[in-house]
Amino acid sequence: MQLRDKYRIALLSAFALGIHGIESLFPAPIPWLRLGFANIITLATLVLYGMYPAIMVTLIRVILGSLFSGTFLGPAFLLSLGGGIASTLAMGLVLSAVPRLFSVVGLSIIGALFHNISQLIIAYFFFVQRIEAILLITPFIILLGTLTGTLNGFISEMLINNLKNSAQTIQNVSQ
Amino acid sequence: MNLRTLLDKTTAADRLFFLLLIILSLSGIFFIREILPESQTVLIDADGKPAYVLPLNEDKTVSVEGSEGKTIVEIRGKRVRIMDSPCRNKLCIRQGWVETGGVVCLPNKVVVTIRGHEENDRGVDAVTR
Repeated sequence: MQLRDKYRIALLSAFALGIHGIESLFPAPIPWLRLGFANIITLATLVLYGMYPAIMVTLIRVILGSLFSGTFLGPAFLLSLGGGIASTLAMGLVLSAVPRLFSVVGLSIIGALFHNISQLIIAYFFFVQRIEAILLITPFIILLGTLTGTLNGFISEMLINNLKNSAQTIQNVSQ
Repeated sequence: MNLRTLLDKTTAADRLFFLLLIILSLSGIFFIREILPESQTVLIDADGKPAYVLPLNEDKTVSVEGSEGKTIVEIRGKRVRIMDSPCRNKLCIRQGWVETGGVVCLPNKVVVTIRGHEENDRGVDAVTR
């Protein structure tokens, strides 16, 4: 790994952690509804720098985030870890398999969907073990996840555009 | 960058996938209750012995023999009531339709209980996170 990549991963992880922290201070309108703004950073990392940095950013964000909030190795950590890895992998695989089919917004929706599905599966096997209860909330979770995923996709799209523009400006100035 | 240019950046696959998920989840919200098997049952005990175990979602009227005579129990629209009983004060009949818990006719020793979804019936006072 190049030194430049390490700097990038560190910086992006810090952004993701900050967003994650601020989001956890918001009162949630519904107990299990999270806006998942940290995924904006994961998605931008994935599109701009590729799969490996995106996975690293997700892992660092989940592990450090849970250490700061005191949920490390607890149920919330397990859900967060599973959801984070599943969504990053899903978005990365879709992006590399069919690069032009989905835009950033589509990728964000896919990420949100896999995040939700993996969390429901983890919740079923480790915590709830009642399939009717899980099936009953699945459509609600997926509906909300699709809406927040779309919102995050648009924000991520803007972020990626800004980062690309500013990178170009820097290059033009230095040339 | 305004909303228009943001929307223009989405692909056809994005929009299709978004619509598909919204439609699937909305229809899921409405139909999942119909697909899931109804696990609530009605237990009827007469004179201390179990007489009937019936599903709550099937409309049915049954008659059970208590210590004083016949008690008629009606299940309709996921609710239960005691329709008729040979007791003196008819408290069980006046209780009317019940959806949770049960109805008892004490003089005739008939106990009607609704079982299932116990986790949901427990009720929560407050949630702390």
